Amino acid sequence: MEKFHNIGTSADWLVMLFYFMFVMLFGSYFGRYNRNTKDFFFGGRRFTWWLIAFSIVATGVGSHSFIKYSAMGFNNGFSSTMTYLNDWFFMPFFLFGWLPIVIYTKVQSIPEYFEKRFSPSARFLATILLIFYMVGYIGIGFLTMGSAMLPMLPESFVLFGSNFPVTLMGVVTVIAVITGIYITFGGQTAVIFTDLLQGVVLLFAGFLLFFLGVSYLGGFSIFWDMLPAEWKLPLAHFNKPSGFNFVGIFWQDGIAGSVGFLFMNMGLIMRFMATKSVDEGRKAAAFNVLFMLPLSAIVVGNAGWIGKALSIEFPDLVPPNTIPDQIFVVVANIVSHPGVFGFIMAALTAALMSTVDTLINATAAIYINDIHRPLIKAYSKRVNTVKETDKKELFAARIASVAITILGVISVLAFKNFPTIYEAHGYFHSTLTPPLVVAIFLGAFWKRFTPSGVIASFVSGVALMILGSNYPAALIGPFDHGIVMDSSHPYTYIRALYNILVCLSIAVIITYLDTILRNITGKWKKAGTDRKITNILIPVTVIFFLLTSLNITNMPVSLALALINSFLISLIVTSRVKYDAVRNTEGLTIWSIQKAKEIFKGSKINEAEGKTVKVKFKIKTDDNSDTVNFSFTEMEDMAAEVGDLVYISDARKYLGGLKSVHSVYGESHGEKGIVYITEDHLASGLFNKNRILVAEKEM
Amino acid sequence: MPSFYHTWLPFIYLYGVGGVFFVLGLIFAIKSNALNLKKKKHKYWLRVLIFGYLYFMFIHAFFTIAALYW
Repeated sequence: MEKFHNIGTSADWLVMLFYFMFVMLFGSYFGRYNRNTKDFFFGGRRFTWWLIAFSIVATGVGSHSFIKYSAMGFNNGFSSTMTYLNDWFFMPFFLFGWLPIVIYTKVQSIPEYFEKRFSPSARFLATILLIFYMVGYIGIGFLTMGSAMLPMLPESFVLFGSNFPVTLMGVVTVIAVITGIYITFGGQTAVIFTDLLQGVVLLFAGFLLFFLGVSYLGGFSIFWDMLPAEWKLPLAHFNKPSGFNFVGIFWQDGIAGSVGFLFMNMGLIMRFMATKSVDEGRKAAAFNVLFMLPLSAIVVGNAGWIGKALSIEFPDLVPPNTIPDQIFVVVANIVSHPGVFGFIMAALTAALMSTVDTLINATAAIYINDIHRPLIKAYSKRVNTVKETDKKELFAARIASVAITILGVISVLAFKNFPTIYEAHGYFHSTLTPPLVVAIFLGAFWKRFTPSGVIASFVSGVALMILGSNYPAALIGPFDHGIVMDSSHPYTYIRALYNILVCLSIAVIITYLDTILRNITGKWKKAGTDRKITNILIPVTVIFFLLTSLNITNMPVSLALALINSFLISLIVTSRVKYDAVRNTEGLTIWSIQKAKEIFKGSKINEAEGKTVKVKFKIKTDDNSDTVNFSFTEMEDMAAEVGDLVYISDARKYLGGLKSVHSVYGESHGEKGIVYITEDHLASGLFNKNRILVAEKEM
Repeated sequence: MPSFYHTWLPFIYLYGVGGVFFVLGLIFAIKSNALNLKKKKHKYWLRVLIFGYLYFMFIHAFFTIAALYW
């Protein structure tokens, strides 16, 4: 394989340095809009759809990365785009199920949903799995950034007379330090605005590279004719080769990846939660999948396509055996001038940084919400004021961000031995997403799904997944759709289908056995032996899990142990967990969205459709409640009633809701065109005196 | 000429199996009333959802034909 070093000039490094400084300053400017932990993590639920849609571009593109798609474009052609064009199938579930559930129930993290829907123990297990997932994702981001920077750096450098080799892990560590510093002092509002800027720059840089590459080759028709027909097909071969085939990638990315990305990527969900309403969140998500993802597919893959054409026409310039993960940097350097190359590289690395900082921010939110707060609640006797708690949590969030960054760097070690980053990411998705994907999906769309079903699926599902990894030919083989098993990385993608099926089967079977489980545990309770029996069963299940996952026995025994274990676990859960099938599903599944809306509002929903109105504001001094007062006319125009929820923002549309506030309609008055707000509204809405405001009924 | 395994089989599988998930999602959303077709806004969203499915189907079909015959 042809390896490159020292690509680029000092002009490129200067451009990169200036770009990074500009982005950091831009981010810290918006960092001042963080008012509390809610803002640090969620940006205060106030932004319009277009701002969020563009800010997602950098996160989506960064996470799906220039490096890995260029590598796949170089190896396989236009089919590198297929993972960007297969997310629509789950949009009905997401737009009308998961998104409103998450927003209306006001859950601050996915594990919190598991506690409300199932039990604290389900939350605990979901937290562990989710943190694994997020840290792995951060690791993939660091690995990609390291791989992007490595070809630009020398093989070694001399410091104080000693020679230091430049290694991938060394580069990753330096990048992690920079990323960690930025996120620790920024927060979600800063991340949203830097991502917005970077999304635009990224699209521009990607298309610029495509234009420069096609021009370098002599025009689009020459470029098109140069590529063989197989390279121009938008979908890969059905089941060949094992390192890149359609059916494996469909299950790994189109199913597990799409649900994982939309339903459990806290970084993305927090963006949608930062929109001013559910409908704005829907618009942002739909616009992103319909338009931004197809554009992003071209932006991230085109360097590989150009590289392929260059390797056919000029094999001395781009050897066909160039390391695929280096092709982006190699092509960008060939087709662009000094300085322009630096700009493209800056856009790339900054976008990757966006992905990573979003994920770090999201993982810190999970830490605060699902570990820090429950621990403080359980062990701290001191009662703090809201302000004191907020200050402490902000500090803890920053420390958590640093710790997560370090774990992300360590996780790079698990991925760096795959042939390409694409395969590493594919393996990561197939392995870590299925248990949570199944649990979230059944939890949100199947009312009958029980805590015993979810916990058995988490524990025994994971055990069966590990068993699949240990015996891929026997267990994953039956689902391989004709893919030949590569013994060094067996079934990188199609294992997702096996993993989903085992988790789903355990979840469904255990849920259907609920009556039997209740009968058995009911008898134990009657006899007063339930505590005693479950105390014995808990260590037994731990031993069974270890026997299965550590591959101590043979396959049939391990398989039998895993299945018996799922039954034992469900007995323990049914006996110990207090679960009310009505209370634990109300507003928490798609079947009770209306109820979720009512819980969110606190009263009956006013469905009448009204208009938006423009008003000037005055401060009320006599009333400090969280209500705003409009005139009779405006109340009529908005079809609003006292007690309904209202969203007020600065009338300047380009602010995208940065200066805005949510409140409740109070009693109306006779001054047309005036809204009375409190000092608190003025401060949290960041409104400027004499500016016109726009108001609309939220629900 | 690339084989059926590289051209139309992935296309049929993608929109066939993917389509099952898509239609299931629509059925769940409509049956649960989360997508309430009595509301003007929700009727619009149903059209957007169906448009999206056909839009991606068209993109893949167009590029497959272009790769083979253009």
